[in-house]
Amino acid sequence: MKNSLIVKNLSISVPSAKGRVAVVDNVSFEIPAGKKIGMVGESGSGKSLTAYALMRLIKDPVSIDGGEIFLDGREILGLSSKEFRLLRGNEISMIYQDPMSALNPIMRVGQQIIESIQLHSPVSKSVARKTAIDLLASVGIPEPESRIDSYPFEMSGGMLQRIVIAIALSGEPKVLIADEATTALDVTTQDRVLTLIDKLAAERGLSVLLITHDLGVAAQFSDDIMVMYAGKLVENGSVDQIFSNPAHPYTKALLDSRCDYTIDVNKPIRSIAGQPPRPDNRPSGCVFSPRCAHAEPRCSASVPPLTSSQGRLTACFRADELFQVGAVN
Amino acid sequence: MGRYLLRRALSSSIVLATSLILVFLSIRILPGDPVLARLGAATKVTPEALEALREEAGLDRPLLAQLFSWLSDALRGDLGVSYISQFPVTQLIGERLPVTFELTFFIIVLSCIFALILAPLSILKPGGILDRFIGTMTSIGLSIPGFVVGIIFILIFSLTLQWLPSLGFVPIKENIGQNLQLMIMPSITGALTATPYLVRYLRASMLEIKQSSFIRTAEGKGLSDSRIMFRHILPNSLVPTLTMLGLIVGYTLSGVIIIEYMFGLPGIGSLAIEGAFKRDYAIIQGVSLVIISLFILTTLCFDILCGLVDPRLRVAKDRQNEI
Amino acid sequence: MRFKKRFSISGFIVLAIVGITLSAPLLSPYDPYGIDVGEPFLGPSWTHLMGTDDLGRDLFSRILYGGRITVLIAIAATIVALVIGTLWGMVAGVQRGWVDEILMRTADATMAIPQILFALVCVSAVGSSVISLPIIVGLLLSPTTARMARTAVVVELASDYVVAARATGLKKSRLIMTEVLPNIAPQLLVQLSINAAAAVMMEASLSFIGLGIQPPDASWGTLMLQGYGNLWNTNWYVFFPALVVTVTILAFNSYGERIRVSLDSRKSST
Repeated sequence: MKNSLIVKNLSISVPSAKGRVAVVDNVSFEIPAGKKIGMVGESGSGKSLTAYALMRLIKDPVSIDGGEIFLDGREILGLSSKEFRLLRGNEISMIYQDPMSALNPIMRVGQQIIESIQLHSPVSKSVARKTAIDLLASVGIPEPESRIDSYPFEMSGGMLQRIVIAIALSGEPKVLIADEATTALDVTTQDRVLTLIDKLAAERGLSVLLITHDLGVAAQFSDDIMVMYAGKLVENGSVDQIFSNPAHPYTKALLDSRCDYTIDVNKPIRSIAGQPPRPDNRPSGCVFSPRCAHAEPRCSASVPPLTSSQGRLTACFRADELFQVGAVN
Repeated sequence: MGRYLLRRALSSSIVLATSLILVFLSIRILPGDPVLARLGAATKVTPEALEALREEAGLDRPLLAQLFSWLSDALRGDLGVSYISQFPVTQLIGERLPVTFELTFFIIVLSCIFALILAPLSILKPGGILDRFIGTMTSIGLSIPGFVVGIIFILIFSLTLQWLPSLGFVPIKENIGQNLQLMIMPSITGALTATPYLVRYLRASMLEIKQSSFIRTAEGKGLSDSRIMFRHILPNSLVPTLTMLGLIVGYTLSGVIIIEYMFGLPGIGSLAIEGAFKRDYAIIQGVSLVIISLFILTTLCFDILCGLVDPRLRVAKDRQNEI
Repeated sequence: MRFKKRFSISGFIVLAIVGITLSAPLLSPYDPYGIDVGEPFLGPSWTHLMGTDDLGRDLFSRILYGGRITVLIAIAATIVALVIGTLWGMVAGVQRGWVDEILMRTADATMAIPQILFALVCVSAVGSSVISLPIIVGLLLSPTTARMARTAVVVELASDYVVAARATGLKKSRLIMTEVLPNIAPQLLVQLSINAAAAVMMEASLSFIGLGIQPPDASWGTLMLQGYGNLWNTNWYVFFPALVVTVTILAFNSYGERIRVSLDSRKSST
């Protein structure tokens, strides 16, 4: 199966008192065409930055230190900014966290979509307008012919997010990145928006990278899951594998700490002791080792690479043996 | 929008009335006899003659009565008669108003042009060399008195290079070329006093907008930097700046008075100064009324302009009053 | 209440200018009124650092003494603005209600009058002297101080520590003196510096159009008027007073900005 997106050894750093420190450290993954990937992790794990790197929206003082990104087989980090701008919003697009502030407040929503359409293909204003109305209809906006001339402040969060999706689809995207796209919405709207993205992705054969800290959302939506911790990719597998059979101790601890109405209220909530390390204070060896219940001396000696274990990729030296012992399950 | 306008018009009228009263009262309450001052210390005047003059000027009547009669006359367009020259004040102002309008118009247009060039340049790379250079120039520009700038221009362009005459005025109807020639230096001088304020404010506004989420969306579409600057950042920065512009115009009017005087332009600013020299209170009051009204009217206009540019304001301002 | 005490160039310049001009009698090489101490319109030289004017008076001495007048007037005006403005704002901020409304509307009205115009009106009524000018300019500058003081007072009175103090029964007036005033003092200091700059600008402008200090006294504005009148004879005369005025205003403005910036950074760090 062809890969829409291949990321190899992506590293992003920020300045600190101790010089530049990595906030995304040597991350590699592949997104096959048409697949939906959920990238989960806590705040500060580097997931959003990875997304911005894919769109080349990383700005000073943050910088991409190394790695390669292949969009549809074409390496994009090496392109000039002018060349890449032709692809941005066109072959790869993004939708954002807060729909209420994601649009130009004094420009009509239709105009903002038309601007994008005309940017990516040489059509006349009237054709663009027609296309925009169609897009509005496909994202589920009622009465698109009149809504096209509304201003953002006249619309609700859910509708605005649909406009943002419409803008993202105004080119011919192969990859759609959703950066916490449903976090700012209420649960019902969240559900509707996710269903919409699902439908549109299937219709157009899009790959979707959904970035979220909400495990439930990730589980509901994705085919595969990638788990990020402290700037590193620690586990990468199918949704079933990850959720029923986590291989990495962090993933297991993360899943254990979930709360829903089925847990026993008499027992304390299982949280992970300690804090994720700050970028300027990363431990040597495995990033998670200071907090890992199964850590051994070799875990702090060297960084565990992403290796295959039980059908998915895990960055843990002890993954196989822990599985055998039944410790992680 | 309509309700908001009404409210603004009302509060503007109150401000106008209050400031006019202040002007009126200052002349009469502050120590110093206007009539005596007008005559000058050299003249020997009999007390009876003084009284007669005072009666003539209406200065012996109770304060409120004077105020009312002046205001009611003013509403009918009669601003009294100059104490010194006996010309009707309204006529004097009418003759000179076009000059001030032309000058103020040029100054506003030029300041806007300068600011619209300098502010985007500053935020291309915030904190960069160009930004800091423009920032320093702005600080200096704020601190140089307007007339100093004028003097520098005259030194360079009139005396040294002999390109432009330094004094005088020719009406447009007579000779456009000469009119413009004589207006260049005064206009640029005035613009240079207002521009630093505009640039500072516009820059701050644009910088804030530049970092907002919807600009990130615009970048995510793949738009070019210039398109983002002019179609997204600038229009959004104009809205808060427009309100500022109204105040800056008021500040500019102060400068216009001095500029008219030093460049020999027969506008209402120089009329005010002449009136102040001669202690001609009729003129001073009349000019004050016109200038203050113009200023308040201008701020009101800019507020309306704001409402036109920003669709949110039209709805929001009406709603504000419902709360 | 502590500032980061770091050496500030603008503060130094402010002190230097104030110090030098106020010690004019000590530093001045010639009598500023002394006619014919030198040939008329001598250019800058070692005997006359800034040259002489049309009556042979030494410009450097006139600048020193002129500076003394300008600076004194500016300081006096600033104090007037501070006192009136603070009282104005505080009364409004404490009383609230219709007193607040009236006081603030009056402030708006005063600010609606272009400054020079207002000064013109007052000067024409009262005349210009070393006494009247500071009062007029001070009055002019007080509304901005008043607004600032009012906002600061309102904010302070609403803050937790004040509410707590009031709850323990502290009288309002005492509270204002001991708590509120010291806390708004830094902002008033910023206003002081900015007002000083504006006062120098106003005095120079008024004197330049001949409605300020009258000859034979001279302030920097009057010297510039003189230079302007003699522009065809000498093109350097006007340069010196223009330079010192600009530097002074720039220094006061910069200093005020600097205090404001360090205040803001202090606030955001707490």
